[in-house]
Amino acid sequence: MKVKVISRSTDDFTRERSQDLQKVFRNYDPNIRSQERAVEYTRALKAAKLEKIFARPFIGAMDGHIDAVSCMAKNPNHLNGIFSGSVDGDIRLWSLTSRKTVCHFPGHQGNVRGLSVSTDGETLVSCGTDSTVRLWTVPDYRNKSAGESAGNAVAPIAVYVWKHAFWDVDHQWGQNIFATVGAQVDIWDHDRSEPVNTFKWGNDTFISVRFNPGEPDLFATTSSDRSIILYDLRMSSPARKLIMKTRCNSLSWNPMEPMNFTAANEDTNCYSYDARKLDEPKCVHADHVSAVMDIDYSPTGREFVTGSYDRTVRIFNYNGDHSKEIYHTKRMQRVFCVKYTCDGSYVISGSDDTNLRLWKAKASEQLGILLPRERRKQEYLDAVKDRYKHLPEVRRIVRHRHLPKPIYKAANLRRTMIGAERKKDQRRRAHSAPGSMPVQPFRKRRIIREEE
Amino acid sequence: MEKKNKMEKHGRMKAHRVSKTPNFRKSDTKKKKKKSMKEMKGGRREKSGPHLPSSFLKEIGIQKPISNSSDQVEGDDESDDLYEYVEKLPEEERKENRRFDQVENYDYELPEEFEDEDVPSDEEDDGEEDDGEDDEEEKGDDAEKHVRMLQSITGLPAKAFEDKPRKDAVLSDIHGDFGQEKISINDLLDPLHGTTGYSKLRKRLHQLEKAPMAIQAPLPKVEKEKLERKVAYEQSKKDITKWEPLVKRNREAPTLFFGEKINLGVNTVGAIAAGHEPRTEFEKKMAELIGVPEIREAQKNDGFKILELNKVSIEDVRDRQNYLAKMRSLLFRHEMKAKHIKNIKSKTYHRILKKQRQKTASSEINVDPEEAKELAIKQEFKRAEERMTLKHKNSSKWAKRILKRGLKAQDDGTRTAIADQLHQHALLTRKMNSMNENSSSDESTNDDSDYLSPGSDNEGVSKILNKAKNKTIKAMEDEDEIPKSGVFSLPFMERGLKKQKDAAFEEARLALEEYELSLGKLGEDDETGPSTEIKTGRRVFGGIKLQPVRPNMNHNGSDSEGDFEIREEEDLPKVEIVQQDVHIRSALVPDDDIETGQETIYKEFGDIVKNPGSKTTYDVAIFASDSWRKCKQMGDKNPSENVKAVDDNIATSSRDSVGDEYNSDSESELEMVDGFLSSDPKSDDYKLPSQDDLIRRAFAGDDVEMEFEKEKMDVLNEENPQPEKPVLLPGWGQWTHIQRKKGIPSVITEEHERAKRKRDEALKKRKDAHLKHVIISEKIDKKAEKLHANTLPFPYTSKDVYEQSIRMPIGPDYNPAISIGALNRPAVVKRTGVIIKPIKYEDVDPHGKYEESKVTKTTHKPKKNKHAESKKSIQKPMTKKAKLAGGKVSRK
Repeated sequence: MKVKVISRSTDDFTRERSQDLQKVFRNYDPNIRSQERAVEYTRALKAAKLEKIFARPFIGAMDGHIDAVSCMAKNPNHLNGIFSGSVDGDIRLWSLTSRKTVCHFPGHQGNVRGLSVSTDGETLVSCGTDSTVRLWTVPDYRNKSAGESAGNAVAPIAVYVWKHAFWDVDHQWGQNIFATVGAQVDIWDHDRSEPVNTFKWGNDTFISVRFNPGEPDLFATTSSDRSIILYDLRMSSPARKLIMKTRCNSLSWNPMEPMNFTAANEDTNCYSYDARKLDEPKCVHADHVSAVMDIDYSPTGREFVTGSYDRTVRIFNYNGDHSKEIYHTKRMQRVFCVKYTCDGSYVISGSDDTNLRLWKAKASEQLGILLPRERRKQEYLDAVKDRYKHLPEVRRIVRHRHLPKPIYKAANLRRTMIGAERKKDQRRRAHSAPGSMPVQPFRKRRIIREEE
Repeated sequence: MEKKNKMEKHGRMKAHRVSKTPNFRKSDTKKKKKKSMKEMKGGRREKSGPHLPSSFLKEIGIQKPISNSSDQVEGDDESDDLYEYVEKLPEEERKENRRFDQVENYDYELPEEFEDEDVPSDEEDDGEEDDGEDDEEEKGDDAEKHVRMLQSITGLPAKAFEDKPRKDAVLSDIHGDFGQEKISINDLLDPLHGTTGYSKLRKRLHQLEKAPMAIQAPLPKVEKEKLERKVAYEQSKKDITKWEPLVKRNREAPTLFFGEKINLGVNTVGAIAAGHEPRTEFEKKMAELIGVPEIREAQKNDGFKILELNKVSIEDVRDRQNYLAKMRSLLFRHEMKAKHIKNIKSKTYHRILKKQRQKTASSEINVDPEEAKELAIKQEFKRAEERMTLKHKNSSKWAKRILKRGLKAQDDGTRTAIADQLHQHALLTRKMNSMNENSSSDESTNDDSDYLSPGSDNEGVSKILNKAKNKTIKAMEDEDEIPKSGVFSLPFMERGLKKQKDAAFEEARLALEEYELSLGKLGEDDETGPSTEIKTGRRVFGGIKLQPVRPNMNHNGSDSEGDFEIREEEDLPKVEIVQQDVHIRSALVPDDDIETGQETIYKEFGDIVKNPGSKTTYDVAIFASDSWRKCKQMGDKNPSENVKAVDDNIATSSRDSVGDEYNSDSESELEMVDGFLSSDPKSDDYKLPSQDDLIRRAFAGDDVEMEFEKEKMDVLNEENPQPEKPVLLPGWGQWTHIQRKKGIPSVITEEHERAKRKRDEALKKRKDAHLKHVIISEKIDKKAEKLHANTLPFPYTSKDVYEQSIRMPIGPDYNPAISIGALNRPAVVKRTGVIIKPIKYEDVDPHGKYEESKVTKTTHKPKKNKHAESKKSIQKPMTKKAKLAGGKVSRK
């Protein structure tokens, strides 16, 4: 007779260390567990609630400037450090870990409008309304503590005086070239006191310039004639001009998708374009209630952060038409500049109230090192939440954000206005001959024309 | 604007300007401008000879060389050799009218050694030509002056002087006879034949003749720039498009990995040890000692030997390991056993154990004389001690107290304990030789075996019953006393106790009766034997049909009542009938029609069922007695007697049901049969009804369909409520007197009609409108609503796909650990603190599968690739989702 005996190998059931977890053997037969969807739904709901509870994005403010922060630059080669320039001509280097000034870069006589760091992280370029471009050597602050070097001042290695006030500067990725904008677009070499190249298309002031990180010879500017212009350094000529109905204050290229860029517009929206097809934006990112002042892509290319004149910072998905996160504090004023850190985990905003603010890019993320089990658990909760995000209860909790009253009201007002406009348009259409008013999608309506 | 002016000024300078192609004109001009500026700074420039205007060149059928200074030099040579050309003054220079701006001539000389940069000349260079002309003019002026001077001196006409140099020039150039024929370039070249550089020149000429020579007119600047920009845009567009497959792959990937291959700079212990340098005194000393080369050498040599000696075969190690494991497990088992035994609280067990131990000890005595001796000494010692202290002779405080209270008042345990003690004393004080005697405590179990032995007969049974009876009586007597103090003296407690006691008393009484009954039966059985057959019929019931049944019942004989009840439904129809009959008869009892029957039955049972207590106990009692007796019958009686037993069974069951009837009238089964009863004919021509008939009859009372309809109507009314009927409300809607005449006002009736119609329509639209036997509730369940998405979520196009995507659970308690990572992996995996660089170009096969491309990406851990297949199959919906989400950017 054959006797069936339950046999288990001791190896499977003995722990190596007393801290190890006991192995749990499960029967994965779905017939045994018929309630798994209900269970997972409940977990998703719980995860959504927990996320809300733990959403504490604000890490700290960095104060020290005595005037509004007008621009910032991140060091592409070093995480713990951010440069900021203020309206009074002060440039500072901050340590993000201690949230203190590491050193100053005195010299500018007026508003510092543009800051940029070379790819190797050695040289800082600044420009401002005093018509000077200054190059600075970034001090090696890695081994210094913030306290001892607080009074450190660095002298510029070069000062180039030029004919017009500068509005912005950006450094090319990987090479020694940077571009400034003002009355015209100038391309500079580190070692030359005069621009090596100059572009001009139209007579209006250029507002911002950004090099494409993926395709370093390509860059784009926005100007006050409401245009976005693309340039190619290899052709040494501008390439294409796009005129919108309102001007763009800033733009940012997607670092992971070299053909795409997003422009922050005055009309509260951001527009994502494919540089090859400028006749319509790929996506309109709406949610701000006032002009968007600055935009910066996360290095992962999956989201970007915007700072607005409505005193909020928002984070959008690269293909999401509404923001997924809004950051605000009572004391934060108009936001002039925002930056994603190079590891994509933090967001820094500089605002009118002379402060820089450090935020988490994921509001409820746990800082510090996670144990593998913790990480797995978090991943599971996120996955479950993502799976059931369409169910009303989960969606309601995930979507809910508390807004400051003025923004809430302004958003309502905007909604009403847009609704009224739409209604009016519908009525006009209804009362005009069929076909006489072709329907144009919103994203196309915002573009005036594309110039060759 | 200022700059522009400057540029124009520069334009007047002697400079060669050319643009390669019309498309790049703008940038080139810029370059030129810059260059010219630089040149100006240099301040020196070569003075070049006059240039032929392009129109002229065209005429003679050659094109200016496109580039190259050397060529140019050659060209200059050539022109020098061939002829001189004097051009007319340009219009602006002549100043005939004021059509042109007056511009000062900024002429200055360039040094001889100045080398022109490789800027070829072109048609654009009007300024240069002007310069050339200026030179020419100057020369001309000089000559004129000279002639005039000669004229004034010699008095000859000016012609004589004028012609001379010209003639020279012409003569030097032209030789031979030519009249009407056009001069070709070859004609001009011929005289040079044989000179140095001729072949070169010839070759060059040949080349020029081959090349196309049309040059278009320049486009306006705006157009030109536009074209340039267009080209630039097209070019950069093409350049950017190369990223497309890469971007597409990243977008379609379910997960993007960043910063996977980062070296965090953690060293191994060996690496750290190798880099260790002695710092403290002690360390230095140690290093000195260890670092001596001889020691090192010795260690090196010896070390190997030692290592070799250390070698142990694998088998040995395994054996040793196995041995150790076995010993360990044995030890462990022993430990566990000891623990288990220690945990056992049973006193009997320990007693037995002790005895066993003693037994073994005594057996050991026989074996080993040495130990036996020792043990004997020990025993002797104990005996002496016992005799001295009399410890076990009821001398302890406890024993004294108990004895004082009287042994009778104690419970069994105490009594046995006392007895034990005495016994121990006896044992201890006994002489050594008589120690081995066993105790005789295990007789008690004998009785039990008697009970169960199959061979026992009625006598034994009656004995037991008597015993039980006695005991019950005793217990009843014992229970009388009630504590008069403490909590139990409280009135309500007292009441409760009394109630309890009453109940117990009742029970006891019942049990007694039952014993008596069974005893009586036993006696009866014994006495009457087969004569009971007459009795079994229970003629009182007039059971004519009972007789043929009996043999049938034979094989069911051993059934207890419970079994019988169950059998009713599934057994043969005949049996069923019998059963029914029995029931009928029993059910007949309460009917008023057969008062007399009832009376008789009651009388019949009167002596037996004197006091039917609670139904259950009664049943159990009967059951117990019957079944008990049954096993006896099985044991030693013949089948004929079995039949009797069965009869008795039936009888008791019927009796039982009669009793029920009396106790509780609401037994449903009896009610059920009521209808049947009435139709039951007493005549002999009774036929078996068919199954359908039976069922119909059985459910004759309740109209299920009607009930369902009513229920459905209720549901409908609840979900679509019926409008209220219009009632006459005096003065409502119309004046009363009118109302009285006309009845209910039309407004109200119309409204009612409308509401009714509406309801009818609503009812028609219901899903269960045409389903007669179904109710489909259309009430919205708010709780269930929460578990459904309102609309189909964005990337999905069909409900099924969406459902499918959330069908499989992803949690760790539903999936094996291997697949969990893949199921739960987020869309972006990155590490905080690791800088993410922008995308780098790599070639991606646009038509290649994703899996392959992922491998080439190499940002994956090898482990993931190993499970790629399984992951793929599991993650299919997710991948699709990601693709949909990523591939198509949502549009507004």
